[in-house]
Amino acid sequence: MTAWSTRRSPRSGPFGMRVLFWLLVGLWVLNIADLLLTRYSLWLGFATESNNVMDYFFRSGTVPTVAFKIGIVTVGTLLLWRLRRYRTALFGAALLAGVFAAVVAYQALWVLSL
Amino acid sequence: MPEPLTRAGAPPAISAGPPAQPLTRGAGPQRRRSETWALLFAALVLLIGAAFGAGGYLLEQATSNWRPQIVRTQSGWRITEVRGLGFSGLALHGQRIAWQDGPSILLLDLRSGRAKLLGPGEMARATWQPAVSERYVVWFEAARAGTSSAEAWTYDVATRRRRQIATLDDVLSLPSASGTRAVWCTARDGESRIVGVDLTRDQDLVVASEYGQPVIDGALVAWARTAGGGVSAFALADVTQDRTWTVIPSGLGGAGDLTGFDLSGRTLVWGQEDAQSGSGRIVAQNVDTGAASIVAEGTRSATAPSIDGDTVAWAEQVADNAYRVMGRRLSGGSSFQIARVDGKVVTALVSGGAVAWLVDNGDRSPTWIETTRIPR
Repeated sequence: MTAWSTRRSPRSGPFGMRVLFWLLVGLWVLNIADLLLTRYSLWLGFATESNNVMDYFFRSGTVPTVAFKIGIVTVGTLLLWRLRRYRTALFGAALLAGVFAAVVAYQALWVLSL
Repeated sequence: MPEPLTRAGAPPAISAGPPAQPLTRGAGPQRRRSETWALLFAALVLLIGAAFGAGGYLLEQATSNWRPQIVRTQSGWRITEVRGLGFSGLALHGQRIAWQDGPSILLLDLRSGRAKLLGPGEMARATWQPAVSERYVVWFEAARAGTSSAEAWTYDVATRRRRQIATLDDVLSLPSASGTRAVWCTARDGESRIVGVDLTRDQDLVVASEYGQPVIDGALVAWARTAGGGVSAFALADVTQDRTWTVIPSGLGGAGDLTGFDLSGRTLVWGQEDAQSGSGRIVAQNVDTGAASIVAEGTRSATAPSIDGDTVAWAEQVADNAYRVMGRRLSGGSSFQIARVDGKVVTALVSGGAVAWLVDNGDRSPTWIETTRIPR
């Protein structure tokens, strides 16, 4: 039987923590970009929000949408930063930031094409 | 010699340690370098993600099938259908044309040759012919074909925004747009009404409580009134002055059927054709004085005339499967040929220095639209 301590995620070194920091900064900025692009796309009338949760907030108004969207990602980034010693946090942040970058790039090109 | 007394509680003298060493450069630059590498690594992750997003967008664009074939000609563009659904409902204003490709509403900028898909929306399957003004495209769309109720939509070229502007219980006419206004005929509670919208101020317009296919230019709306199966008069309304009057069409009557009409400034231009012989004529008439002049006579299977400023354009048949697009200045001069077309021209339009026509040969060939420029 493997001890709990040995089954824990491998630790990140100082370099990994620095990468994590910048990934989380990028993630937070991309989240704002995603919010602005989505809001603009909806205003343009060519897009619909397919995420039911965000659709609910967009229908509720700008302030609840901004509060929810920024709040949930801020909590997520703080949680990942708290777990910065674990390499899993680094992988998770890299995956999230990569997906956000893909979504934002797609949206930006789509908006420009209209 | 007695030692000098120190003050009570004074700290003991600090003994001199080893001599101070100059500070080494330490780990500073190394740390900075590590920070830079961390930043670059994070940027690389974001860049890879962005590349996937851009790739997905390009793949989606490459596999989308709404784009028609657009080819630059010597003096304009030739746009050919590729989906086999057929082009229809051509509209022109200035440097933009809009039309239907099956149920899709497309807009093309004649300067760049760039096409945009404007509608229908996600839930709609049917559309009506669009109208184009300086700034707006207006069209109707409905959830399914065959229904008479619809939603009126507009696309603002300046803001690139698409939005719904009205709900129609019954579509009784196509929309017509000019400047910031759009008009159409609809029915509510069993009563036909010519209504519209000021697109900038989102203000409803009520033009008349009667049936008609309205055409708007500036603040002036015109529609044909029928009596005894034929057109008896053209009604005109100034939406800014709440004034309505009629113009008796000069010489219209007999066996001639109205093929269509158009309005520009204070001039109404209309086409008439004998259903038996297919021979017709085109007349221009001032809406204030009623003074009329014949633009063309002896036309064969001519399309509805189009007018912009002092230029009138139409298309007429010259052979079994050949048409020519014609033009004439009301200020003087004889009619002139703009283009000869190997196919059946169903619509010919003029606006500014641009002329556009739609060719539909039935099942013999794909439909296409062609544009050209004429000196203003």
